[in-house]
Amino acid sequence: MGRRLGRRTKGQEDDAVARGFADGPLSRDLDANLRELKAIFDRCSDVVFREFVFAQCNGTRLALVYTDGLADKAQVSDQIMRALALEVPVAAGGRRIGKGRALEFIKKRGLCMHQIAETDRLQEVVRAVLSGDTVLLVDGHATAIVNVARSPETRRVADSEVEPTVRGPREAFVETLRVNTSLIRRKIKSPSLKIETLRLGRVTGTEVAVVYIEGIANDKLVPEVKDRLGRIQVDGILETGYIEELIEDNPWTFFPTVNITEKPDRVAAMLLEGRAAVIVDGSPFVMTMPNLLVEYVHSTEDYYERFLFVSAVRVVRFLSLVASLTLPAAYIAAVSFHHELLPTTLLLSIAAQREAVPYPVLVEVLIMEVLFEILREAGLRLPRPLGQAISIVGALVIGEAAIRAGLVAASTVIVVAVTGIGSFVLGYRLSIAFRLLRFILTLLSAALGLFGLVAGMAVVIIHLCTLRSFGVPYLSPIVPTTVVDLKDVVFRAPWWAMFTRPRLIARRDRTRQAPDLEPGPPGARSRGRR
Amino acid sequence: MRGVAIILILALLAAFCGGCWSRREITEIAIVLGMGLDLTPDGRVGLSLQIARPGAFYGGGDTAGGEGRVACWVVRGEGETLEEAAAYLAGKVPRELYWGHSVVLIFGEEMARRGVGAVADFFGRKREPRETMWVTVAEGRASDVLECHSVLEKTSAQAAAFLVTMGLGTAVRFREFVESLADEGVEPIATRVTVREVGVTPCPGEAGAVGPHRQAETSGTAVFRGDKLVGWLDQAETRGLLWLKGRAVGQVLTVRVPGKPEGWLSFRARRQRAEIVPRLEGGSVRFDVNLVAEFDMVEQGGIGDFAGPDQIRGSERLLAGAMEAEAGAVVERVRSAYGSDIFGFGDAFHRKYKREWHEMKGRWDEEFARAEVRINARAFVRETGLLTIRAETGRE
Amino acid sequence: MAERGRISPTQATLLMVSTVLPTAILFVPPVVVRRARQDAWMSLALAVIVGLLVARLVIGLSLRFPRKTLFQYSEEILGRAGGKAVGLLYIWWFLHTGALVITDFAALPCIALMPETPFIVFFILGIAVSGYAVRGGLEVLSRYNELVTPVSLGSIALIFALLTKEMRIERLLPVFDTGAISILKGSATPAGWLGEIVLLSMVAPYLSNEAEVARVAYVSVLAVGACVTAATVGTLLVFGPDLTGAWVFPVFSAVRSVVIANFLERLESVAVSVWVFLGLAKIGVFYYAAVLGSAQWLGLKDYRCLVAPTGVILLGMALLCPSTAELFEFAQGAFPVYALTVFEVGIPLLLSCVARIRGKGATGGA
Repeated sequence: MGRRLGRRTKGQEDDAVARGFADGPLSRDLDANLRELKAIFDRCSDVVFREFVFAQCNGTRLALVYTDGLADKAQVSDQIMRALALEVPVAAGGRRIGKGRALEFIKKRGLCMHQIAETDRLQEVVRAVLSGDTVLLVDGHATAIVNVARSPETRRVADSEVEPTVRGPREAFVETLRVNTSLIRRKIKSPSLKIETLRLGRVTGTEVAVVYIEGIANDKLVPEVKDRLGRIQVDGILETGYIEELIEDNPWTFFPTVNITEKPDRVAAMLLEGRAAVIVDGSPFVMTMPNLLVEYVHSTEDYYERFLFVSAVRVVRFLSLVASLTLPAAYIAAVSFHHELLPTTLLLSIAAQREAVPYPVLVEVLIMEVLFEILREAGLRLPRPLGQAISIVGALVIGEAAIRAGLVAASTVIVVAVTGIGSFVLGYRLSIAFRLLRFILTLLSAALGLFGLVAGMAVVIIHLCTLRSFGVPYLSPIVPTTVVDLKDVVFRAPWWAMFTRPRLIARRDRTRQAPDLEPGPPGARSRGRR
Repeated sequence: MRGVAIILILALLAAFCGGCWSRREITEIAIVLGMGLDLTPDGRVGLSLQIARPGAFYGGGDTAGGEGRVACWVVRGEGETLEEAAAYLAGKVPRELYWGHSVVLIFGEEMARRGVGAVADFFGRKREPRETMWVTVAEGRASDVLECHSVLEKTSAQAAAFLVTMGLGTAVRFREFVESLADEGVEPIATRVTVREVGVTPCPGEAGAVGPHRQAETSGTAVFRGDKLVGWLDQAETRGLLWLKGRAVGQVLTVRVPGKPEGWLSFRARRQRAEIVPRLEGGSVRFDVNLVAEFDMVEQGGIGDFAGPDQIRGSERLLAGAMEAEAGAVVERVRSAYGSDIFGFGDAFHRKYKREWHEMKGRWDEEFARAEVRINARAFVRETGLLTIRAETGRE
Repeated sequence: MAERGRISPTQATLLMVSTVLPTAILFVPPVVVRRARQDAWMSLALAVIVGLLVARLVIGLSLRFPRKTLFQYSEEILGRAGGKAVGLLYIWWFLHTGALVITDFAALPCIALMPETPFIVFFILGIAVSGYAVRGGLEVLSRYNELVTPVSLGSIALIFALLTKEMRIERLLPVFDTGAISILKGSATPAGWLGEIVLLSMVAPYLSNEAEVARVAYVSVLAVGACVTAATVGTLLVFGPDLTGAWVFPVFSAVRSVVIANFLERLESVAVSVWVFLGLAKIGVFYYAAVLGSAQWLGLKDYRCLVAPTGVILLGMALLCPSTAELFEFAQGAFPVYALTVFEVGIPLLLSCVARIRGKGATGGA
């Protein structure tokens, strides 16, 4: 029960300044407290002050302070006011209670709340009120009771829209932190699943939760995550993106080094591999770390579908990874430098298409790429039904018309379209990085042909080699090669062979399951036979 | 890290500041499909190039004007050397010549007789022409071959290349040609190409017009000695040569059946190899050539039932005899008429008698002319097709 | 310590393979074949033995002075002045070889793919890209290499496998055609190349487990030997000795000769691109050795500040090369002799003898 709310971190030392009031202890005098609070909540029309008299003791005045809309009004009126003003006498058998024991009594017997806390700091009271809790001030006591009775009004847990899957759980996170933690807790019913909360943002005071599984997560990881979060001193945090940019290992990179997902099952899987997750109140996305490049090529579904099929699909994904990065560049290299790369018939056919095109290939590719980006952006920004119409009109009509008008060659349209579609196969955030790099590689290749492309690719690879996410090399387990962990890169081992957790992520307790789980017909099973 | 950005920017700057040296837009090149080399009357090198007109190759689209347009253009230039001739062509062709997709190299007969060593050097040194192009020698002028049309293929160069690839004659890639030029133990050969008037077919040049049509076809083998053409082998002799080279897969051999005046059997080789075993006995050189071939029976006439083991054994003997005769004839003809070791007897001798080879290398021509060649063939019949007996006409 | 990274034995082995192989596979086959004709494989086998001996020297020194590079232990063995002198020589050699590697690196794409493009473009890009890796440190360089080497070598091997149709085993016969002298002569160039394994002395101290240094050295020499032999024999089987000796880049020409089913052909651009990745790794190793060596020679805490100046020096030295013909002549003729006698065998032998006599080092005197 009586748990202290919030954790004190370095970032909160000057909260008072940011919020425009001085912290101090509560007074024993209810009027003084109310005066102070009313001064603090001056012109905050949504904060409600409700004074009434404790039924058990006429001299004891009580006051409720809560924020309209955040607090659960039904609970406030039924479980607190009704209980204290009317029903306590019934329960207590009409005994009179002295003013001095009122607080104790209310706490123990008077309130029908599932979770209460107490505090004697003004600051805590303010924070509780703003978080949607209901604060009960008792006359004659310098302690306030914080009733956690937040309004249940939140968006319903709905299907994931950003990461749709065919097989597997469909639910996605919502904007409320507690709902999100409950979604994770529902998947991992173990006391080892730790959820530590802290508040970030001097003005917004956003609740942030660090989630990990004790004993599986690397010992150094969680303190590191908390330390990096603790360093943050900004006025507001509205989305995970704020935090992501503040805790990355290497801010100067195109590549995301913190993963974002909206699927609880994905977070649970990450936690089980030894990663940590950070949930930010107000965002339906959860960050997981450390983050590896291969995560963007994998999807949650990979672990639910049959492993042979998944392995084949992943080969396709790796192909589209390479294609979405290099295809336009390779096309330019082949068409304007290394004609020998193309078969004779194809070369002649491309040459024929290009006879009427006025621009060099580079310009042509850039036109199409920019057009594609415009269409994609328009499709994102417009309301959904319109967005689809735009992409269809854009892709079909403009593409066809551009070819007929002799503005671009058909082969260019094919290349750009394949590249664009290929980039959708990858995780959204990796494809953003690739979009930018693709332009650079295209320019390099237009200047120096395949050599430029290769040099650019080498820089990208070297850059990826320098990246780390929370100390773990970004390209692992490919390089530095961890042979056992190659079981889950391109090929996915069947579940009965996934003996260990990734070595570089979960340094402790790497054994995942019992050996000899390979199933078979009754006579052939190795387990249980021995 | 800022490093990446800086390096990429530097790289881009470095790349763009100087311009794009090797960039050649596809619309700025003239794609050479075939090359022909002739000797001009004044002894200079005449270079004919068959250049593709891309417009004729537009695939699929409804706007294609492919039909009725000539797909290629033959230009001729001349110079003291090949490079000079090519440079001369630069003044005739409004685009940059691109040699990378050339599929055939055609030597004119006179050119080949004068020697092709320098030409081979040019194409080996040049970056774009490929080691894999086919080497052929035209009977007459090489430019004639390039200038004629093919009904099936868009250009005669492609047609010639397909003929060489698909056909059953000698097929020599540039790489093999150069290797045998450099090798002392074997002389080069090349495909022989002839231009013939073949009946009346619609000529793509003049849409709808009907006239006599000239077409290139393979017609045997060109025999070289050193880098000079010394003579020809016709189709039948070429088959004999192929038996000896172990490359006769696909060849069709027809034998007469003894005792049956109307009886004949046709077989197609499905696997074949040849082995040359040199022997040095008391200063005289002897070659035992062992030919092994597997055949499928593909056609027969006037025999009736052909499935029994005896008949198969018998036909195997006939086939072996035919192979020996063909191979023996070509060895004798090449030795006596051309004095050229196109079969690689020298190489075989070198492999076995390396010390003696170094002594005899200088006078190998004489040794080769004197050497005894014994050909020993073995044939096996594997398949007889879907019929066991002859489909008699009267049976219906 | 100037370098804080640690690399695994596998990474070190692959790094050593990249130290030797990328240019060796291009430049060694024609020289060996020109001298030893179809017996080239024997020359290469001899060269591997020389390489193993050099590796033995380096291993001995590294094990005797754990966690020390060549620059550090040569000072310990020969005293401050002597050590500095040796260090200076090696810095020169790393720079010189580095510049040679850069010109070699530029030669193939420049001659084979883009003849109109000036050499300096390839120099600048090669130095900039590998300099970026060197700046990241040994770990980054080895990771890049660990990713690139298996993929590149695998694709080149695959392309070679497509050539089996064209290969004739008779082209290797007769064996022992040219005599022992030619075979010995033929082995000089590859031996000089394989001796570049001496760079292991700059990397060995940063192995996560330094006891593995012997395995790293031997495995990498054998792997390089096997690859070069395979490439040489493969080309011989396709072209025969006359033509192999005549091509500038026989392996490249062999790749050009691939024709499978009329569509798998003209693969040389792919092969060259893949090779460029390897070449960058090789430049990186020499560049890294020069930078780290200079930092240790100057007693600097961090070598990053030397990356850019060293790059400029390398560029300058690479620009001194007059023509590709002379480059090939030097790289295939004089260079192996000079490298082999002085830097790959001479100085290491001297160092280990002196260390033994003076009883320096961990296992000193024993």
